Amino acid sequence: MSVQVSQFFEQAREQFQLEIISGAEHMEKSIKEEALNRPGLALTGFFQHFANLRIQVFGLAEQSYLKSLAPADRKNRLAKLFQQKIPCVVMTRSRHPFQELIDCAEKYRVPVLKTPMITSRFINQATLLMENLNAPTLRYQGTMIEIMGIGVLMEGPPGIGKSETALALIERGHSLVSDDLTVFRRESTGAIIGYADDLIRYHMEIRGIGIIHVPSLFGVSSIRRAMRLDLVIRLERFEDASQFDRTGLNTETIELLGDQVPLLRIPVAAGRDIAHVVEVAALNQKLKQLGHDAAKELDEKLMQVLVEKGRA
Amino acid sequence: MSNGSASSNGQISREMTILNKHGMHARPAAMLIKTAGQFVSDIYIEKEGNRVSGKSIMGLLTLEMYQGSIITVHAEGPDAQDALDAIEELVRSKFNED
Repeated sequence: MSVQVSQFFEQAREQFQLEIISGAEHMEKSIKEEALNRPGLALTGFFQHFANLRIQVFGLAEQSYLKSLAPADRKNRLAKLFQQKIPCVVMTRSRHPFQELIDCAEKYRVPVLKTPMITSRFINQATLLMENLNAPTLRYQGTMIEIMGIGVLMEGPPGIGKSETALALIERGHSLVSDDLTVFRRESTGAIIGYADDLIRYHMEIRGIGIIHVPSLFGVSSIRRAMRLDLVIRLERFEDASQFDRTGLNTETIELLGDQVPLLRIPVAAGRDIAHVVEVAALNQKLKQLGHDAAKELDEKLMQVLVEKGRA
Repeated sequence: MSNGSASSNGQISREMTILNKHGMHARPAAMLIKTAGQFVSDIYIEKEGNRVSGKSIMGLLTLEMYQGSIITVHAEGPDAQDALDAIEELVRSKFNED
């Protein structure tokens, strides 16, 4: 793994109110481990198992310790720390670093940032952010829609009507996440999050019209920036009816980023209102997630009745 | 394996007995319509005077076909004979259950 300090800064800037104190020209340095480190022990001169590949966080304890040292010692200890090739330093609680620290940082070309947040909170949130920056991603051909809290990806051959179906769903009050190309990220919790590529976000291409900007036409409630993926719907040409599961008992899945996601194959035939079918599929998936599988329950009831009658 | 009348386009019928313990629940019903769907002939399943399409899953379930039930399968169309053979084979195989 590797995240540039500049990437981290761009993503974290707003959330953590980060500012650059020094080293703006060294922001290309790479952070090679997700976790963050407090260099307390290293400041005392103990470097065994020192996590030098991580962001180094200077909190109240580090600052107080440095303050307790004579300036010459302070300079010495900080020099030893910076010799470890650390990627960057973050000062919490908006504390300004000692001049010795800035001198070292400049000498060893390490950027120094500061945040008004308290240390523990910053470490928690920055760890999550680093995990997300590092999460594996996948670019996938398909249109993603949020239907009443269920994230649905529609895939299928070109021209089968993914965008048109998405448009119909938007008109019914559901929200567009991305059209035609969806990026997925696997979070540390295991959830797969879908979102649009930055460039094409909230745009759709509809054959016969061209490119449209969805929120301009349908309002801000018609869009959603990111959504957890719950269901993949594959639209297929209706050629051989016998290929489709008619009971809903045979649940298929598709592997995405190492996780199994429920897959439904829906035949597209002339006169079928696919948007409506997709909407119901999403609701049914929601019901299943709540532990209520209608197909399975009916089947169990049937078997019970039939076995009893068979015995009689 | 051919009883019932067999004019190439007329309706032919054959009686079959349900053998699997759990009867015609959803999974066997899905297998039956899948088999029936492979033929162009119209297929009907009849039990105790009630007749439903062999291509309708909900219809099949309402017939309550349990172990020991005797059903009559009707087929009408150019491949009616093959359709009856295939369905009979499926019923005999207990829908791969038990």
